[in-house]
Amino acid sequence: MTEKREGEFSPKILVFSTNSISDPGIDLAGLLKMHYPPSAYTVSLPCSSGINPDWIIYAFKKGFDGVFIAADGTDCPYRDDCSELTAKIVQEAQTKAQDIGINPARIKMAAICSVCAEPFVNHMKKFSEALIKMGSIKNESGGKDVSS
Amino acid sequence: MFHLEYDVMVVGGGIAGQETSLNLANMGFKVILIEKEPSIGGKMILLSKVFPTLDCASCIATPKMSETMRHENIEVLSYSEVSSIERIDKKFKVKILKKPKFVREDLCTGCQECEANCPVNVEDQFNFGLVGRRAVYIPYSTAIPKTAVIDIDNCILCGACERVCPANAIDFTQEPEYYTLKVKSVVLATGFNLFPARKKPQYGFGMYPNVMDAMEMDRLLSPTRPYNAVIRPLDGKIPENIAYILCTGSRDVSVGNPICSQICCMYSIKQAQLLMGALPLADITIYYIDIRAFGKGFEEFYQQAKDMGVQFIKGKVAKIEEIKESGNLKVRYEDIEGSGGVKEMEHDLVVLSVGMLSNPQITSSFKTEELELDEYFYVKQTDPLINPAKTNLKGIFAAGTATGPKDIPDSILSAGAASAEVAAYIRSLK
Amino acid sequence: MKKRIGVYICHCGGNISDYVDVKKVMHSVENEEGVVLAKTTVFACSDSSQKEMVQDILENKLDGMVVASCSPKLHLHTFRSVAERAGINPYEYIQVNIREQDSWAHSDKPEEATEKAIRLVRSGIRRAAQAKPLTPNEISVTNGVAVIGGGAAGMRAAIELADTGLNVYLIEKEHFLGGRISQWGALFESGERGEELVERLYKEIIKRNNIKIWTGAEVESFSGCVGNFDLGIKIHPRFIKTDKGCEKFEEIIKQCPVEVPDEFNFGLTKRKAIYKNYKKAFPEQPAIDIDNCTKCGICEQTCPEVFDFNQKVEKLNLKIGAVILTTGFSPYEPKEGEYGYKNSDTVLSLQQFRRLMELSNGKLVFNNKEIKNIGFIYCVGSRQKGGDNKYCSRFCCTAAIHTSLLLKEKYKDIKTYHLFRDIRTYGKQELLYRDSCKNGDIYLKFDENQPPEVITEGENTIVRIKDLLTEGEEIEINPDLIVLVTGMVPRNNERLEKIFKVPIGRDRFFNEIHPKLRPVETVIDGVFIAGTSQGPKNLTESILSSLSSSAKTYSLLSGGTLQLEPIVAIVNKNACEWCGKCDEVCIYDAIEKKEAEGKTIAYVNEALCKGCGSCIPVCEQRAIELKGYTNKEIMGMIDGIMEEVNG
Repeated sequence: MTEKREGEFSPKILVFSTNSISDPGIDLAGLLKMHYPPSAYTVSLPCSSGINPDWIIYAFKKGFDGVFIAADGTDCPYRDDCSELTAKIVQEAQTKAQDIGINPARIKMAAICSVCAEPFVNHMKKFSEALIKMGSIKNESGGKDVSS
Repeated sequence: MFHLEYDVMVVGGGIAGQETSLNLANMGFKVILIEKEPSIGGKMILLSKVFPTLDCASCIATPKMSETMRHENIEVLSYSEVSSIERIDKKFKVKILKKPKFVREDLCTGCQECEANCPVNVEDQFNFGLVGRRAVYIPYSTAIPKTAVIDIDNCILCGACERVCPANAIDFTQEPEYYTLKVKSVVLATGFNLFPARKKPQYGFGMYPNVMDAMEMDRLLSPTRPYNAVIRPLDGKIPENIAYILCTGSRDVSVGNPICSQICCMYSIKQAQLLMGALPLADITIYYIDIRAFGKGFEEFYQQAKDMGVQFIKGKVAKIEEIKESGNLKVRYEDIEGSGGVKEMEHDLVVLSVGMLSNPQITSSFKTEELELDEYFYVKQTDPLINPAKTNLKGIFAAGTATGPKDIPDSILSAGAASAEVAAYIRSLK
Repeated sequence: MKKRIGVYICHCGGNISDYVDVKKVMHSVENEEGVVLAKTTVFACSDSSQKEMVQDILENKLDGMVVASCSPKLHLHTFRSVAERAGINPYEYIQVNIREQDSWAHSDKPEEATEKAIRLVRSGIRRAAQAKPLTPNEISVTNGVAVIGGGAAGMRAAIELADTGLNVYLIEKEHFLGGRISQWGALFESGERGEELVERLYKEIIKRNNIKIWTGAEVESFSGCVGNFDLGIKIHPRFIKTDKGCEKFEEIIKQCPVEVPDEFNFGLTKRKAIYKNYKKAFPEQPAIDIDNCTKCGICEQTCPEVFDFNQKVEKLNLKIGAVILTTGFSPYEPKEGEYGYKNSDTVLSLQQFRRLMELSNGKLVFNNKEIKNIGFIYCVGSRQKGGDNKYCSRFCCTAAIHTSLLLKEKYKDIKTYHLFRDIRTYGKQELLYRDSCKNGDIYLKFDENQPPEVITEGENTIVRIKDLLTEGEEIEINPDLIVLVTGMVPRNNERLEKIFKVPIGRDRFFNEIHPKLRPVETVIDGVFIAGTSQGPKNLTESILSSLSSSAKTYSLLSGGTLQLEPIVAIVNKNACEWCGKCDEVCIYDAIEKKEAEGKTIAYVNEALCKGCGSCIPVCEQRAIELKGYTNKEIMGMIDGIMEEVNG
């Protein structure tokens, strides 16, 4: 049903946000009526350091074209080293993705603060463009079992 | 639910008032919080980032605001003022004026349809006049309660808002309401006023468009900023050479405020660091008398700014003049550390680091007794060493900048202290 | 058993329905597995809607509920309480955000916004289908607080806590209360003297029968979790019976033949083996310094009934619900030779000098020389560029200037020179600086890279400074005494840090969770910090933080019970192979190693777990999940979003 222009598709992006910091930032984007691609879907968690890399791979297998982690950066209420831990998760997921033939650039992370509406929107636009260039996940070997 | 009796009335919904209310509510006391603006949040919620951690102010302030609003032991009355406080036996009878918002708070969902359809445009006080707002408006995107308010003085009564409101929340028949309550104790968390930079005419604020005060700059730097960029007010040019004038209105006998405001050094250093990020090519010069980086992590923050290339000049600024053709500003200062004497420097934007002044307005609400102030009109602490929240009036306490200049961490600690003292006081009444 | 789920799609006036076809959303999800009922509503949050929901839940025996409306930040709590009112566990309620993250963000593309809403609501339904009821763990708490450190901050906290009805244990390492403030003399805030303040606090303390004081006591062990800790303490004997008084203590102290340097006076004077810090120190009985006592027995002869040399070290275990650390600071001790310290007879630290002032009657004399000119060198041990102490010690500028004002008051002709970097008399303290300047005190500013030089030539000491206020002119002064304005350093607390597991900041003081959000709390729930143990402060500021920590402690313990957030990590016993990685990553110390059913596994202490989930990705066995965010829930949400949307 997604509107498709000739030769282009709307990449589906899974966004992991955090309940107290980045999700409010994403809310603010809506509040300010700032537009970003509607094929971005957010799942909010307590802290980005608690993301299971398997979820990211699972999302690709289910057909998501990209996964974006809206981390807390230095604003994390749980721990100072949140960014480092989240970066490790991203790395692990990227390695796993590569192993099964998925372009690791489909996983992206950035710090989004609770009023970072504009940066979030820019990230979504840029990431979406990048994913359009990469093409649908269905064309990658790791994304083949989508229909299963 | 609204009651007629509370344990504590907290006056002022800034960071100190919220912290005091939350502490007391968490101890089980019933609190009524009175805020004169349409939203709680005070000055902190309007800031960009806060020193020395560069946390975003909203990230810290909004969760506290919503917790305050939601707490079952706290009743928040926004857009309200305390008209009188009278002591009756061991309690206080207080009269509260709730100003009409002309919008029913219970119905308004904060959708901003009214704002989009209002034809009126006036200066936005929460953006310090940098941009406009409508006659019906939500104070700012992070306001709590997030409901609209009609500025009736500027409203042309066209009824557009009423027609478009999907919740039928607009109500032009609202009248001022008065509540009379009994409370056992009162906490004054009435905050401070910014030093009005116009009182220092030699600095040209209000005359030269490219002289702004630091609160305006903080709005320009904030994520909810009006222009999405740091620009010169005169011509929208991106500034390349910015000056900060510290101690504007502080440590200055000529304006009647010889004390130090305690925050201006640090917030200027913070803004300088943020500006270095936003405008990597800009030169930033800070004219100072002493750099007072005294709190936890402050000195390190100051050194960091130096390392980033912010220039610090120990010098008292005597006069600022506009250069007609360019709108740039000539800053004349006494060079204390360099070769000495009076020098001049040109900048394309000048930020005045304005200090704090007391906000003693509440004193007029005391009808049966007099609240003692210190010589600079801050609420006087009668036992600063042991009972720092105590005032000369039994049962009346003060928190935050009501008793003197403080930064945010100190305001929060003083709110903690006030809540402890109030708790002990109320228990002693039994 | 399959869940019976009710779904509500909110119009939010037109905020959602203007862009999202809510009817279409409803129809697209009404046949989803588990959905018993799907409705649209104009304002889900309105009172009438809430009542309708409660009725629906009861009539249809629903055990799951989804509302698709605005951001959970606004109404999660509203609808959780609706669910609760109708008998559904609040954690089985799922809020789906189709306003901020859909209709508003995509108001330019209504069709796509509708598709997104359908996918989001379906993902919410999948999550609701997997959601398990969670109940906050309720634990009862011990009515008891230990305050570690009997300085001004600790004493003040003890009084406050006692007034709120808690049992307080005040534990002081020394044999006398009062800490650093009792050494200080007149305080700038009010002119009250440190000793007087300690007396005022002590008298308040002994009025309250729910404060128990232990002096000469040290912490040995600390275990348990918030609400119910065990604190082991060791009490060193005083060798004087605390229940007996003696009028002749002063005389007895005089008779003692032993003399050792008096630490209370920073070695400026000597004290006896039986001693008091100062005449009016509290508790009133002197203490015997047994390491230096020769057991000559002279003291016992005068007043035998009060002495008991058989007293032994006593060990106690205290049951407490929380603890406040008010262990204070140490004055910075300059290195030998730092500005002539210890190498010259004319150099003292500010703390030593304040004792000298306290001990002086009449003339101000040091080393038999009358002091008429004093040079204060600021920032000694603070704002170090190369050294460990990068921080500013905050109190010292004002302290030195106030000292100078006191000197002028007492000794009219005394002259003071202030060699400073920046004068940091913030706030109203600025007035003291102004008074000092009016008094004619001389201020000279030096650059951090060109500190003053102290040169000793025989009996003569010269200070050379390049004064920035006079274009870097080299100036020599010749003071009778040099006072090094020494800052605060953290106490040597390594043992306590280990026992309480309190984090240490860059400045090596105890570190709070967040300077603005939680300034007196540590990552260990129930362990609070206050006073100068957290960082340099003047007395008022210490008291502010001491009272703040009392307020937080009281909030924590006043209810008698504690509700623990149920979103915590949970270990799959079968999958766990104990590698310890979860334990390593957890900063809350919530993971324990346990033996269960013949193997070693990780165990989550729910009272300590904060639910961040950091342990999840580090577990190679994927044996840890977070309640409320389990694999089934997250993967269910992903499934819900990705299933094709028809029509």
